[in-house]
Amino acid sequence: MKKSVSLLLSGLLLCGALTGCGSSNDDSYGADGAQAEGGEAAAGVSGAITVISREDGSGTRGAFVELTGVEEKNDAGEKIDNTTADAEIANKTSVVLTSVAGNEKAIGYISLGALNDTVKALKVDGAEATPEHVKDGSYTLARPFNVATKGQPTGAAADFMAFIMSAEGQQIIEDEGYIKVNDAAESFKTDGSSGQIAVGGSSSVSPVMEKLAEAYRAANPNAKIELQESDSTSGMTGAMDGTFDIGMASRELKEEEAAALTGTAIAMDGIAVIVNPANTLEGLSIDQIKSIYIGDVTDWGDLA
Amino acid sequence: MTGPATLGTAARRGAETKTTMRSTYGRGRAKLQKGLVYGAAFLTFAVLLFLIGYILISGIPHLKSSLFALQYTSENVSMLPAMITTVEMTVLALLLAVPFGLFTAVYLNEYAARGSRLVRVIRITTETLSGIPSIVFGLFGMLFFVTRLHWGYSLLAGAMTLAIMILPLIMRTAEEALMAVPDSFREASFGLGAGRLRTVFRIVLPSAMPGILSGVILGIGRIVGETAALIFTAGTMAQIPGLLQSGRTLAIHMYVLSGEGLHMNEAYATAVVLLVVVLLMNTLSALVAKKLTKK
Amino acid sequence: MKNFWEKLMHGVFFVCALASIFAVVMICIFLFANGIPAIREIGVLDFLTGTKWKPGNDIYGILPMIVGSIYITAGAILIGVPVGLLTAVFMAFYCPQRAYRLLKPCTELLAGIPSIVYGFFGMIVIVPAVREAAALFGADISGSSILSASILLGVMILPTVIGVAESALRAVPQNYYEGAVAMGATHERAVFSVMLPAAKSGVLASIVLGVGRAIGETMAVVMVAGNQPRLTGNVLKGIRTLTANIVQEMGYATGLHREALIATGCVLFVFILLINLTFSVLKRRKDA
Repeated sequence: MKKSVSLLLSGLLLCGALTGCGSSNDDSYGADGAQAEGGEAAAGVSGAITVISREDGSGTRGAFVELTGVEEKNDAGEKIDNTTADAEIANKTSVVLTSVAGNEKAIGYISLGALNDTVKALKVDGAEATPEHVKDGSYTLARPFNVATKGQPTGAAADFMAFIMSAEGQQIIEDEGYIKVNDAAESFKTDGSSGQIAVGGSSSVSPVMEKLAEAYRAANPNAKIELQESDSTSGMTGAMDGTFDIGMASRELKEEEAAALTGTAIAMDGIAVIVNPANTLEGLSIDQIKSIYIGDVTDWGDLA
Repeated sequence: MTGPATLGTAARRGAETKTTMRSTYGRGRAKLQKGLVYGAAFLTFAVLLFLIGYILISGIPHLKSSLFALQYTSENVSMLPAMITTVEMTVLALLLAVPFGLFTAVYLNEYAARGSRLVRVIRITTETLSGIPSIVFGLFGMLFFVTRLHWGYSLLAGAMTLAIMILPLIMRTAEEALMAVPDSFREASFGLGAGRLRTVFRIVLPSAMPGILSGVILGIGRIVGETAALIFTAGTMAQIPGLLQSGRTLAIHMYVLSGEGLHMNEAYATAVVLLVVVLLMNTLSALVAKKLTKK
Repeated sequence: MKNFWEKLMHGVFFVCALASIFAVVMICIFLFANGIPAIREIGVLDFLTGTKWKPGNDIYGILPMIVGSIYITAGAILIGVPVGLLTAVFMAFYCPQRAYRLLKPCTELLAGIPSIVYGFFGMIVIVPAVREAAALFGADISGSSILSASILLGVMILPTVIGVAESALRAVPQNYYEGAVAMGATHERAVFSVMLPAAKSGVLASIVLGVGRAIGETMAVVMVAGNQPRLTGNVLKGIRTLTANIVQEMGYATGLHREALIATGCVLFVFILLINLTFSVLKRRKDA
C-alpha cells in the first residue's frame, strides 16, 4: 500500500517536472530554499535509491570514495572501501549517465567534464558543481588529473610534458571545462625533439589528453603521440613497466605508484554527483552522500 | 540458399491437400505448433526491426561528412580509419582462420576414420574452443601475443586472437556442410577414377560452398562486432595500422566514443555504418557463393 | 606425382586439424599456469564457495559470480532457444521465398551488431521496461537485474541459434519430409516429428553455441546486470557474472587480484568444459 502511494507520488512529481507548471513547481522551489540553507532536505522522489558506482580500479571511484569518506581505515590501518554491495557497478561514464537519465530513483557520480543535461548535478554542501567552485575550493569533490613518468622524461616526452604545463597547454585544459593548475605558466617553445610518445591510462583524462596531443602535434610535427585509453590503474602500471612513456590517472597516485613514478598534476576536475532531472532534490551534504553509498540510507524518503 | 525454401512451400501445398484424408495426428496440436512457429518468427523479426530501427533512428541524423575524414582528430572523431582497420582485421583474421577451419573439416569428414580417438579429441577441443568467452580469448591474446611474443597492441595480435576465436565456428559449419554432401557424389567421383584430393576439391567443396560461406559470414559478424577480445590485443589507436601497429575497429571505435558519454551521437552514427558494413560483407559473400556454386 | 599430392595434402589437412588442439592446449597452459597458483593461495573452497569479493582486502570468493553466470545463462536459454528454434523452423519450412530473401540477411545482420549496441539498447529499452513491469506488481527495483540481462542475452543468441539450427534443418534430406507427407502426415507433423528429430545433432549444436555465447557475453551484460558481487536468488535483483568480473577489473588488477581474475577465467573455462561434456554425453545417449 505504502509503495503504491509512493509510486503515485513519484509519478505525480514526474508529471510536475515534465510540464513544469503550477503548484508542483512551487513546491519544489520551496524545497530548494530549505536545502540551500541546511544542505539537507527530503528528496523529491521516494522509494528505494538505486545507487550507481564505478568499478574498483576507476580513478573517479578512487577519488570519490576517498573524498566522501566511504573509504575508511579499519583498526589495522588498512583502507577499506565500504561501498554497499547493493550498488550497481557501471564500468563506463556513459553507463552511469544513461542509467541515471533513465531511472528517476538513481544516483551516480561522474567527471564534471562529462556532465550533460540528461541528468542533474547536485550541490554538495551547498556549493554548485562548477569549475569556478572547484577552483575556489567551495566544491570539495575534486580530484587531480595526474600524469606519471618513470623518472624524469626525456626527449619528445619531456617536450610534450613542457607543453602540457605551458600557458597554451593549460589554456586547452581550461577550454575543455577542467581547472588549470598553473595560472602563471609561460608560453611554450618546442625543442623540436622527435620520436614516439606512448601515452595511456585513465579514460577520464583521455579526452583532454587527445586535445593536448593534437595541439602539440601542430607545435612540433616531429613527435608522434600514441594514445591508448583504459583506466587509471593500468595507466600507472603501464608507466611502471615501460609500456607507456606517460601514464594518466584521474586520481592521486597510490603509495607504491608514487614510489616508482614521478607524478605531475596537470589539471583539476570536479566529480559531479548526479540524479535524474525528475528528482527535485537540489543538494546533499557529504555525510548524506556517504550514508547513501555505504548503504545506511536506502530510501529517498529517509534522507530528511 | 533459396532453393530449399521453394521445395518447402511446394511440398506444403501438397501436404495441405492431403489433410482432408488423413490422420490420427491432433488437429489442435498442429494448429498450436503452427501458431507457435509463426508467433516465434513474428517475435524475432519484431525485435529485429525494433533494434535496427532504434539504431537507424539514433544514428542517421548524426551522419556527417566530417565523420569520414581521412584523418582522425578529437574534433571530427572520424570513423574512416576505423572502417579501414575493420576491413584489414577481417581479411587478416579470415585468411588465418578459414584455411585451418576448412581443412580441419575436410580432414574430419573426408580422411579420418569416423569415430577414431583423434576425431573425438578434435571435436571436443573445438567444442571447448567455441565455448570460450571472447574475454578469455582477449586475456590469452594479451598474455601470449602481446606480452610473450612482444607484438604489443597490434593488428596482428588482434587478428590472431580473432582467428582462434572464429576457428571453431568456421570448422563446425564447414563440417555440417560437408556432411550434407550426399555420399553418392563422392562414390560417383571415385567411380570415375578421381582421387580423394580431386574429389574433395572438385566435387565436395563446391557443393558444400553455401554452407561454408554461411559459416564465414557468421565469422565476419563476430569479427566486426567483437570488442572484448580486441581491447586487450589490438589497442585503441585511431589510425590505419600496419601489421604491428595498434588500431581500432568500428566496434572499438564505438566503444571508445561512447565511453565518456561525450560523443554518444557519433557513436550511434558509427553503429549505423557498422550495420551497413555487415550488410555489404554479407551481400558480397552471398554473391561469391552464387558464383562459386554456378561453376 | 598424383600420389605425392595426395599424401602432401593429407598431411596438410591433418596438421590443420591439429591446430584447434594446439590452440586449446596453449590457452589451457596460459590460463591455468596463471590461475591455479592463485586458487591454491586463496584456497579452493574459499575461492569457489566464498560469497564475498573484496579485492581491496584480499577476499576473493566467486560464488556470487558463478551463480550469476548460471542464472543469466539459463534465463537466456529459456528465452532465446525456443524462440530461436521455432524461428529456424519458420525459416526452413514456412517462410515464403520472397520474404525469406529479406528476412535471412536480417538475422545475419543481427549477428553483426556489436554487443555494446545491444548493451545501450538494453539500458534504454529493456531495463526501464522491466522496472515499470515490476512496479505494476509493487516491486521497487532499478531494473538492472538478472531478468533484464536474460532477456537481452536471449535476443543476442537468436542469430546463432537460428543460423545453426536452420542450416541443420535444411541439411535433412528432403525425401524425409516427402516420405512423411506421402504417408499422410500434415506439414506440422512432418516438420515436428520427422525433420526436427532428424536434425537434432545440429539443433543441439545450436544450443551449445547459444549457451557458449550467453555465458561468455561480456560487454552487453555488464551494462544491464547491475554487477553487484553478492548472492541473490531474486531474478529482479542485479548480480555480477564471471565475465563481468574479469572485464571490469582486469585492466588495473595487479598481483594476487590479477591472478584471481585469471582464475575466474579458469572457472569459466571449466564451466564450458562441463557443459560440452554434458551435451556430448546427451548426444551419445540419444544416438545410441
